[in-house]
This record gives sequence, structure tokens and C-alpha cells, in this order.
Amino acid sequence: MLERRSALASAKPYKSAVLTIAERPGFTLTQVAGLSPDFEAKLADVAGSLPETVARAQSNGERTLFRIGPAQFWIVGPETDDVASRLAGACAVTPLTSSRVRIGIEGAPARDVLAMLIPVDLHRSVFAPGSVALTGIHHTPVTVHCRGEDAFDVYVMRTFARDVWDAITDAALRFADDP
Amino acid sequence: MTSFRRLPQGGRIQRARPVTARFDGKALGGFAGDTLASALLANDKLLVGRSFKYHRPRGIVAAGIEEPNALFTIGDGATTEPNVAATMVELVDGLVARTQNAWPSPDFDLMAVNSLLSPLFQSGFYYKTFMGPTKGSWMFYEPFIRKAAGLGAATDLADPDRYDMRFAFCDVLVVGSGPAGLAAALTAGRSGARVVLAEQDRDFGGSLLSGSDAEQEAWRVACVDELNSLPNVEAVTRTTVQGLYDGNLAVLVENRSSLPHDARKGQPRMVLTQLRARTIVMATGAIERPLVFSNNDRPGVMLASALRTYVNRFAVAPDKRAVIVTNNDTAYDAALDLAAAGVAVTIADHRASVSADILSRAGARGIAIFPGSGIFDVEGSKGVRRVKLGGAHAVTIECDAVGMAGGWSPVVHLSSHGGIKPRYDEAAAGFVPGGFPASHFGAGAMMGTYGLSAAIAEGSNAGASAASHAGFGKTRPVYAPEHATDRSYAILPSWSPPQGAKGKAFVDFQNDVTIKDVKIAHQEGYRSVEHLKRYTTLGMGTDQGKTSNINALALMAEYRGITIPEAGTTTFRPPYAPLTMGAIAGRTVGSHFRPVRLSPLHDWHVKNGATFIDAGLWKRAWFYSWAGATPETAYVKEMELVRRGVGLADVSTLGKIDIQGPDAAEFLNRVYVNGFAKLPVGKVRYGVMLNDDGIVLDDGTTARISENQFYMTTTTAQAGEVMSWLEYLLQMQWPELNVQVASLTDEWAGMAVSGPKAREALQLAFPGEDLSNEALPYMGCKDFVFDGVTVRLLRMSFSGELAYEVHVAADHAISLWEHILKAATPTGIMPYGLEALASLRIEKGHVAGLELDHRNTLDDLGLGKMAGKEKDYVGKALRFREDCQSPDRWSLVGLELMEPDKKLRGGSILFAASDEIKGHGRGYITSVTWSTELNKFIALGLYKGGLKHEGEEIIAAFPLKNEQARLKIVSPHFIDHEGVRLHA
Repeated sequence: MLERRSALASAKPYKSAVLTIAERPGFTLTQVAGLSPDFEAKLADVAGSLPETVARAQSNGERTLFRIGPAQFWIVGPETDDVASRLAGACAVTPLTSSRVRIGIEGAPARDVLAMLIPVDLHRSVFAPGSVALTGIHHTPVTVHCRGEDAFDVYVMRTFARDVWDAITDAALRFADDP
Repeated sequence: MTSFRRLPQGGRIQRARPVTARFDGKALGGFAGDTLASALLANDKLLVGRSFKYHRPRGIVAAGIEEPNALFTIGDGATTEPNVAATMVELVDGLVARTQNAWPSPDFDLMAVNSLLSPLFQSGFYYKTFMGPTKGSWMFYEPFIRKAAGLGAATDLADPDRYDMRFAFCDVLVVGSGPAGLAAALTAGRSGARVVLAEQDRDFGGSLLSGSDAEQEAWRVACVDELNSLPNVEAVTRTTVQGLYDGNLAVLVENRSSLPHDARKGQPRMVLTQLRARTIVMATGAIERPLVFSNNDRPGVMLASALRTYVNRFAVAPDKRAVIVTNNDTAYDAALDLAAAGVAVTIADHRASVSADILSRAGARGIAIFPGSGIFDVEGSKGVRRVKLGGAHAVTIECDAVGMAGGWSPVVHLSSHGGIKPRYDEAAAGFVPGGFPASHFGAGAMMGTYGLSAAIAEGSNAGASAASHAGFGKTRPVYAPEHATDRSYAILPSWSPPQGAKGKAFVDFQNDVTIKDVKIAHQEGYRSVEHLKRYTTLGMGTDQGKTSNINALALMAEYRGITIPEAGTTTFRPPYAPLTMGAIAGRTVGSHFRPVRLSPLHDWHVKNGATFIDAGLWKRAWFYSWAGATPETAYVKEMELVRRGVGLADVSTLGKIDIQGPDAAEFLNRVYVNGFAKLPVGKVRYGVMLNDDGIVLDDGTTARISENQFYMTTTTAQAGEVMSWLEYLLQMQWPELNVQVASLTDEWAGMAVSGPKAREALQLAFPGEDLSNEALPYMGCKDFVFDGVTVRLLRMSFSGELAYEVHVAADHAISLWEHILKAATPTGIMPYGLEALASLRIEKGHVAGLELDHRNTLDDLGLGKMAGKEKDYVGKALRFREDCQSPDRWSLVGLELMEPDKKLRGGSILFAASDEIKGHGRGYITSVTWSTELNKFIALGLYKGGLKHEGEEIIAAFPLKNEQARLKIVSPHFIDHEGVRLHA
């Protein structure tokens, strides 16, 4: 198979004893959109329960679903996922795995770092595990998913990934081992 | 003569921690806890600068953010920050401060000659004098005026410090940590609400920090301790709320200048926080007003409250004797504390009678009181020598300092930022908030509530109300210390000075505006407070009139014979206090100034000799080192490669859109001017779309992947706009169409394989695919799987040669690109960059971004015949409006240079041969290149009347370089008119 190349291959790595900022590759991103009134039911048959609002993610086994717009969802699955073929014909299916880079931010200062980047209330009581924000970092659209108490995934447009990486690691500079 | 000293004990300074700063090149000693202002006073450095216009000697007036005089340049070299109030600068080791606006020094300032010319500098002087004799006179004079009457100067060097920006949210924001603010924050905090308490000082307590009462201090400490113990409360010091905006957005700026702030370690000097609060309690306190009298600007004449702060908080006091002039009771707090510190105090009280309680307390401290008296004049030039009283007691008193107590002005700025004008309160003799939106509350001195226990009660109530408004009902109130009293205010407002004194009586110290200036403004008709401000500059500058505004408008009201409320106030706008530009810029500096967009092939280009050029946000490969070291040489070689062999170009920046649904074909048929309803599966078509005003929006291609799925490409420049346009049309105009669109610009990489050997190259790369002309004819497309990955091949051409675009998921782009280059090595394939790409299309006559500039119609671009006559499409109706059909419109032409020794430049203005070379001409050159096919410069341009003038000789003028050249108008299609190469 043609080798995959990361958009962050030449980005400066970030090292910190208290904070992990790293690309989290190895996922499949499929966008699905409705073309029929029973779309959500068909989707649920294949992918499991759907998130009720844009602000929440729904994790079903190896897959996590995001509601990203009216009758539009993202399905983030394992590196090899047959969900696209299983949904073919039932809705508009658009593979988007290459279009996004997933940057994980994990550790006690993660919320402080994100607070320098996104205009979202990140208090533990508000942006708890399972929360999702469709927001922006450095003028580019990103999707932020809280996947643990101090663990977040930021889905970044591939062509802006280096720039957003630089913005994130710059925000986290004071936590770096060797700034 | 004025002199100050450090008291042997007391104050909040840490005597065990001495600190040494540099002031005008010399060591300045003090203690941790000092401000630059308190250290200067403790070192008896009273003369701290010269005034703005007259260069009169000036001293420290205040102890807080309102300081008008003691402005210094802090730092040096790249860290220079001018116009910083000494009262707000914490004294730390290594601090460097310089005086400004005085030469050679404040003590001996040659510009003090201005003082002798003072009649010239009255209000309106500049406008009256320097507007003539010619139209541009002001432009000539202004630099000189600014140099003579300036503040400090900023540096041109890049600021090495770091400024962070962050977002925050809370239920209750409390602004100010005086008694009311502490009570509000604690009451709200006890409810469980998320509270942010913002204090501009380095310590919490507000006016309590200037007091001397042990019980009040114990109350303050207990409040702060409890606040710090509550996990739901974030109490921050050194943080000024600079503005309030719609939606309860507060902008907070934390100044960490006195703390370690090494940018290399990511430590910011300042942090700007955009805080969204559900409710806001303003407990911003009040600022004492000066009184207006002759020579009230002499060093040593200060606010009475400032004298109190310096003695109690910093243990700095006038050497022996102080005179306090007042029109209210609060000045007696200062008088009593000064007296307790051993200063002999005399009070001149404007009021004829003073309460017995005050008389008895003052008497016990040996304070002499002259009721019914004010200051007639101050003697001394670089300090106070003596004051002459006027009124009931015309006595002269030797003294070191004068305290002015003209009453208090509530800090109503934040309550006014939303547009609510403050209201004049007669009892408080000041402006208080004119009202609050439902989620805003006020407490304490900013409401005109000056008593301690009343302020605490009001603060506690406001905190409870704010918490309740935010949905937190249960709380416990905060009570005042047991013996806290509500001291009387009993102000007798007095605005005008005693008549007869000859010295200047200042209203605005910072802008050197005297009472005479206000009178002149009145006489000349500048009577509105807004006009008064602009005519005299009163209330401008770094202090924005914090001490002067109320006195000035009260005087204007007096002159006009109207009440103060009728005179009104000027408008309060953010920021509340001076703010360095770095804090506003935050991290949006250097490489973070704007986002940068990189192709999936970027890393390969970097490693393989590409030079990049900015194209919008994209970094695009401009040319490659294999072809030459400069763009001028490289692009010609790269063009020849494509015309004679085969080249590979990165076209990943093109917009790419997935369009799916049973109505997708109908949708495209409406969007494009040409027909798409019957485009067969496996075919690509060039299309043009218009805005609804009939002007061309974009062009591109769309391939039909299956019956219900299309793959659109757009120009790089319009990718985002077209995507938004399609979504708008589907959601707002044609919701009945069952279509879904998704951007694929980031998902798919694109590479153009162009040149006579393109098929050969691809056949080598994909030996399993039939790429013959029959299997994949011009404008055909196919998907296939190569090495486990889907590849989309579209046979279409931008260069005019046999060409294909190979699209693949971006993750695999570099691998596929490298595979093509390697497999097709026998064809001589090499990469070519944007310059060659754009030049090849000029030879072919393809329009691009420079021609698609949102001003041209289909017909202007020679594309009118493409449009469907029968079908409807966006922009059809307005495309045919009269102006769009005018035969005189500038439309697309090809241009050939007729003078081989000359050069053509993009942007040149086009003239007919007989025209005078002047004005906007008859058109301009949009795109220009050297043609490797024709061996001459060729261009595309827009020309009045267009190809009606084909064959005519015209002139291209480039006035910036004073160049002219003769051109011939030709067809914009310079090569392969029959399209033989495309179909090869």
C-alpha cells in the first residue's frame, strides 16, 4: 500500500513531563449526510446510537460519532473501518480521513492550554468527557473532543495542521521540558 | 520647602527585602512592596517631570491609576515602554525608569521657556496658528509641535516580551476588591457560583490598603483567606478590567511586569483575558478630585487620599508639615493619619462649619482647622514653600506638602461602556451609574456609597443578587467589622478658585489645561463637554481625565449657567487604563500573524529545491532549483519541459467539493451557466458560475463520478467562497433539492501531469491501466485502485498540452508523487512550479484569478457563448442588464509585445496609439509572461471594446517606472487554436 505521510512529519516535537501533545494517527474519518427522511435510523442501524446534540460525542465500541450539522455526522473509527461501504447507498458518504489531523492534548495543564486557543468554557463541570466543540484555533475550524478528564482530541484541517500545531505548542511553551 | 521622608516603622513594605532600581541612570533604593512613586517620595525625589505644554515642574499627585504627572519611560532598548504611571509600577530589582519630556533634566529643563510664552499656548492656539498660510501647513508644523509638546517615545525595536491571550468564563465577575468588592465576591463565592475577582493592584483590599485600622485589616485578611480557600473562586491581582462589551464580555489585562517573564520560557509579561461572565458586579471605587486654585500643580501638591496612602501603605510622609484643603469630611482621615505619623497638619475647610465629632478628633491630634477657607495661592516653583489661604482666614502657612480633597468621583467607566450614560447624584456630588442591564450590579464607592459598613452591605447584597441571577440561590452574607462606621461625607461642592490670584490654576494637569482655557473655550462657543474636550485637549492623554473631567464640566456648567447634569459627561470608552499594543496583539505576531496553509506535498517540495511564494494563505512551490536559481530563468525552463516533454505540478490547492444526491445534476445545472444535467458518468466538463448579479464568480471543472455523485474543482482563490455559495444556495434558495455537499480540498491532493509525454509517463506509473486516447479521451475521468489506494484520474489541461490531473487522498500524496517521478524517469519528467503553471495557461488563453476579479461578465472574458440559452442559471437575469451588455466594456484580449528590447509588466495601463498617456486609459494588462512558443512577451488584458480592435497597435504604459511599449491586440489563444495537443 502507498505509504501514508503525516502532515506533521516535519513539525517540531513537543516534550513535557506534565503534558503530552502529539499526533494521534490511525483512525478513519467518514462524513455521512442524510438524503432521505429515515437517514438517522439507517445510520443508527450501522453505527449505533447517535449523539443527540452537536455538543456531545457518542462512543459506540471502537467508533465515536459527532453530530456536525443538520443531518450531518462524523464517524471516527479504527484505522480500518468498513462503515463507509456499509452505509453506501443509504446516505451521502464522504471519506475524510486524510482531511484531518488528530492532535491529542493530555495532562493536568491541558485545559489551561486549550483556554489560550478556543473561546469555549472548559470548566470541568461544563466541558466534561464526551463534550464536543466545533470551534476555531488560529482562524481555522477545528473540532475539539474531550475524551477524558484531562484528555482532548483536536481535529485540525490537514493543510493548516502545521500552523495549528505551532499555535498549540506555543500556547503550551511554559509547560515544555526544554522551551 | 517640600520634602518627604521614609518613616522608621509602619507601612506594608517589606523592610527586610531591600530593592534597588535605576532611575535616570542612578540607583534608587526602596523595599519590596514599594511602587516607583513611593520609592521616589521616600528618596525625596519630588520633581518627577515637566508638564506637557508649559514644561512646568511637576510632582506626584496621586497614589493610583489616576496619576496624571508622574509618567516615566520604563525599560530600555527593545523593552522600552513610555508613559507609564509611577504609581502603578512595582519597585523590583533591575527596574529601569527614565524621566521624559524634559531636557536636559526635569530639574533644569530648557523647554521651560515655553512657560514664558504661555499666552501663546492657550486653548485653540495650535489650530488658530498653524493652519495657514497654505493648505498643507499643519502637515509641515505637526512634527515640530509633537516633538516640543510630547510624552515619551516608543521604541522601533521589536518587543522581545511575550503577551498571552486566553478565554475564560464565570458566573459572577467582581471588578475591584475594595470593601464592597470583597464582600460581593465572597457572598457570591459562598453560593457555589464560579466567581472571578479582578483587582488592578498587586494586593486585594482597595481603600483598605490605605487605612490604618487594625480591625479593618483583620477583616480584609479574613475575606481574602476565605476567597482563596474557595475552589470556585479565582481571585486575581495586577489585573485591570479594561472594557465591557456586548454579551457580558469583559476584557481583563494582567500585568506581570514585576514578575519573572522570560519569553523564551513561555512566560508572558501580560495576559489578556476575554472573560464571558453571566453576571457582573462593579465595585470599582472612586477617585478623589483635586481642587482648582492658583499654582495647584506645584510639586508637593497632591490628593489628600494619596498622602494618606503614602503614609499608611508605604510609610512615606511629608517631612514636617502639611496643609490639607477640603470641601468634605473624608479629608480628615488623611489628616488624622498624617498627624499620627508625626506630621503637623493644618486644614483649610471650604465649609463654614465642621461637625463637632471631627473637630474633637482633629483637636486631639493637634490639627489646626481654618473653616470657611481655601487655598488662595501656592508659593514655590520646584516644590511647595508656603500656601496662602483665602476666605475667612487669610493666613500664610509654611509647609512641605498640600493635600487636595475636592470630593470623590465614582469610577463609572465600566458601567458606561455599554452605552448607559452616568447620572449626576447631588448628594454624592458626582456621577454615578445611570442604570444597569439585568445582569449587572454595582456596589460601594462607585455607587456613591462611601461609608465602610454601607459599602460592605451593598457589596454583599450585590454579590448575592448576582449569584442568584446566575442561578445560585443559597448563600451567606458578609458582615462588616464590628466597629466599622459609616463616616460622613458632607461635601460642599466647590469648583471655582478664589478670585485674584495670579498663578495658573490647573484643571487638567496632564494636558496643561487651566481654568482660563476652559473660559476661553466657553467664550469661543465650545460649550458642549465633547467640544470642550477636543478644543482644549482636556480629559485626553493617558489618564483620560480621571482627576479632571468633573471639575472641568462643573466649571463649564457654571459659566453657561446650567446644572452639571445638563452639561453632561463625555463618553467613556475602553480601555479604562493605558494598554500596551503588545497585550492587544497577543501571540498574533511573527509567524503567528496569520494562518499558513501547506499542500500535502509541501515537505517534498522543501526537500527538493522548491522556492515558495505566498498565494493567499498558501505557500506554493514557485519554481525548482533544477531549472534555475531565479524565477526568471527557472520558469522558462520549466515551461519548455511541459511544452516538449512532461512535467509534474502540485495542484492540491485547487478547491475540491463532493456533491451527492438525487438532485445533484439539477443543482449543478442551475449553478453553472453551461449545461450539466446530461453530463455522462466518467466525463469532466469545464464550467463557469456567476454571482446573482451576473458577474463571474469562478470557473473550474466538475466530473460525474456516478449517477448521483459529482466531483467539483474550483480555483484556489475562490475555493472557500464557492463552498459557502453552494451551501447558501442549498439551504436558503433551493431547500427542495436533495443534495449534500462536502469540502474535499484537504482530503484530496492533486498533481498535474502535463506535456506531450504525459500519457507515456502515466502509463509507466500505472501500467495496469488502459490510458489510451480511446479508453480515456480528453475530458474523461476514471477512478482506480493503485497499491491499495483509490486514484482519480481526470484528463484535462490547464497548460494546453496533453495533460491529466491525478488526485489521491492527501495522506498518500507524497508517496504517489514520488512513485510517478520514479516510474516515469525515462520520459525525463521533472517538477514544475506555480510560475510556469501560470505562464503556460497565459499562452493557452485560460482565464484565472487575475481575470476573475469579481468585476467581469461572461462576455468580458469571451465566455458568453458557453451559457445555455434555454436553461436557467444563477445570474442569468442580471447578466443581460444594459451596463453588462455595453460594447464599450473592458473585455479580454491577447497582447503581443512589438518591441523585442523591452519588457512587459502586469498592471500596465493600455492606451490607443493616438491617446495622450494620461489617466486610467482604456484597460490594463492582467497577466504577462515570456512565451517560449512565440519567443516574445505576451499578455492577457482587458481593453475597452476588446477584440473589436484585434490587429490594432496600442501602447502599454507603466508610469511607476516611466516605461512605454508598443503592443498588438491579438486573440487571447496564443497556441494550438484547434486543440490538437489536448486531444492527442
